[in-house]
Amino acid sequence: MKWMRILCALLMVICAPAWAHKASDSYLTLQIEGSKVSGHWDIALRDIDFAIGLDANGDGNITWGEVKARHTEIAAWALSSLNVQRGGDCSLQVTEQLVDEHTDGHYSVLRLQGQCPQTYGGVDINYRLLFNIDALHRGLLQLQLDGRTQTSIFGPDTAQQHFASESPSLLQQIRHYVVEGIWHIWIGLDHILFLLALLLPAVLVRTGKRWVGVGRLREAMKEVLWVVTSFTAAHSITLSLAALGWISLPSRLVESSIAISVVLAAANNLWPVVVGRRWMVAFGFGLIHGFGFASVLADLGLPKDALAISLLGFNVGVELGQLVIVAAFLPVAFTLRHLPLYRVGVFMGGSGITMLVAFIWFLERAFNLRILGF
Amino acid sequence: MSNSKQPANVPCRIFAIGVGLMLASFALCAEPYLPTLDSTVLERLPLQANNQSASALNQLRTTVRERPADAEAAAQLAELYFDTAMATGDPRYAGYARAVVAGYPLALTPALLLQRGMLQQYQHNFEAALKDFEDALAQDPQLAAAHAWRGAIYLVQANYKAADAECAALLRMERRALWGACKGLVQAYGGQLDAAYATLAQALPGSQQPGNRLWLLTRMAEVSAWKQQPTQAEEHYRAALALGIDDSYLLAAWSDFLLDQKRYQEVAERLAKWEASDPLLLRLALAQRLLGLPEAGRSAQLLGDRFAAATLRGDTTHRAEEARYQLYLRQNAKEAQRLAALNFAVQREPRDARILLEAAIATGDLAAAQPARDWLQSSGFEDARLHKLAQQTGKLAKP
Repeated sequence: MKWMRILCALLMVICAPAWAHKASDSYLTLQIEGSKVSGHWDIALRDIDFAIGLDANGDGNITWGEVKARHTEIAAWALSSLNVQRGGDCSLQVTEQLVDEHTDGHYSVLRLQGQCPQTYGGVDINYRLLFNIDALHRGLLQLQLDGRTQTSIFGPDTAQQHFASESPSLLQQIRHYVVEGIWHIWIGLDHILFLLALLLPAVLVRTGKRWVGVGRLREAMKEVLWVVTSFTAAHSITLSLAALGWISLPSRLVESSIAISVVLAAANNLWPVVVGRRWMVAFGFGLIHGFGFASVLADLGLPKDALAISLLGFNVGVELGQLVIVAAFLPVAFTLRHLPLYRVGVFMGGSGITMLVAFIWFLERAFNLRILGF
Repeated sequence: MSNSKQPANVPCRIFAIGVGLMLASFALCAEPYLPTLDSTVLERLPLQANNQSASALNQLRTTVRERPADAEAAAQLAELYFDTAMATGDPRYAGYARAVVAGYPLALTPALLLQRGMLQQYQHNFEAALKDFEDALAQDPQLAAAHAWRGAIYLVQANYKAADAECAALLRMERRALWGACKGLVQAYGGQLDAAYATLAQALPGSQQPGNRLWLLTRMAEVSAWKQQPTQAEEHYRAALALGIDDSYLLAAWSDFLLDQKRYQEVAERLAKWEASDPLLLRLALAQRLLGLPEAGRSAQLLGDRFAAATLRGDTTHRAEEARYQLYLRQNAKEAQRLAALNFAVQREPRDARILLEAAIATGDLAAAQPARDWLQSSGFEDARLHKLAQQTGKLAKP
């Protein structure tokens, strides 16, 4: 146990250097990537104490307990003196508060996270921390804007500063939206299930009361093409209308309807109502799904100067994502189409499970419940 | 028992623990962390709330907050903060003082202009400071302190004629102590060390305020040292220290004197508790190094971190110290010369000339030393040590 004590003492020596007398600085590190802001902000405990008081018992020592008790106030005070703008005010919040050491003592480390209205263009930062009580205070900024690092110093006379972004070329912007489009169809399980529910019967034909495999790939492909094209056409229409702000529906209604569309599409496989003209189902419900994509795009933010091209890019991305799903599905389904495994297990079983899952989604979305968690 | 059989293992184990410790301490020190205990003390405040001077300060702070247009309270608070900055060497107080003046909502009174001028001077914004003193004097021609400060700035800028005019103004106001400090330095920097010493000594009896006495005694000590009278210099330094006032300029000057006298141990002892102040940490690190103490490396590292931090915020007020750090603690003569030259363009006091000459000798670059040689020539400053250095740089010209 003795060596433990020696270790601690040594650590104290190494870790706790003599604190410097130094003018007050805060260290603000920000990463702004598209519309996402993250980073941390180190502010000296001594400065926080001078501004809002930390030494609750007035004994001249600031303890971790005293700091912790004031975390809410520290966050509110700090954020009230910092504005980050990219196409408008970015929301900022403190997600966590830690402690770190600098040459002049301990600092509170505020981990930041935020969201800007725009994904591109220059960034404006207004920094006012402590200036009203310490005119020699400086905010030392390290900004990583879309991958490029810039540094700057904020003072009372330089509180407002602009940081230029090497603004992405039109091609880069389109690529960005295409990638987002692909990504969002892949992680949008409800869209995938809807599409699969319509595609599962594409390799089958209904004769009498039974399903049998189609004869030639051509037939299956024709069916797939009709379904996918009409789904695409439909959701492109509503996606554009919503993204341009011409139509706006409450998201709860949209999300519940999407769930219902999946339920109905799957149910149609088990108890066929529409057999020959599934492309009409795809088109009708596709209109609803378009509104769902639009909400994703709204979160992403559309650049005002390249609205149409970004919208197109996002749409193309969604189609590419769909094509990949179809390309993976069709050969497998076509190969297995004659087997009972496909007709009973995949087609009937899959539709049944899809229907059940989608129905639970509907309940969750319509009545604001939490049952499945995905 | 088994340990005694394998004595060789013990140093090994200690070494291993040491390495582990270093790694652990890097991990612990370098990364933000969550303290585990609520009772962990993270920071000791320089002034405790229940401390007497702190409560006076807080009271004044409250007054200023409640009556923002009260010029007298604002000037008092700014002065108190500035005095604290000067005594402790803690620049945060200068920032507080500056904010008090900046927050005053009406046109600045002469007292507030004076405070702002002093703070501008502190930041080496000499032109802005001169302007503030001028504005203050326009409103209140009897404001002796504004003349005194203006004189001090002209001295730093080696504008002895202008400085002398300020001294004359103080004499007209019959402010003998302020005049003595002003005139004495004009004479000293202008090459009349004997006259300078007499002027300063003459002003001393008439000066009752401890702060003024400390200033006069410190400058008399410096003049004595330039006159090659170390015994007399020490006597004055000790009298100044005996006043019991914390003053970082005095401690820095006394430490430099001791370093020149090769009395390193005394410096190490005297400054042991003054690591917080960069200029004093520099003297401490120099003494530790000259004594061959193991702490020297750590002090130099600490100092390096602080200069790096100052550079980050664009602070250039300690370039003379940084030049000494580079020359004697980092053996980087080139960087030392660069910093000393930049510093000499702004400040031209004897110590500024000295580090420039020393750095130029180390790099062997005569041209770099020229501004200091020119100053020595034109001012007629008499210090034998500086002349010897200038001669050395002169020899550089003849290969």
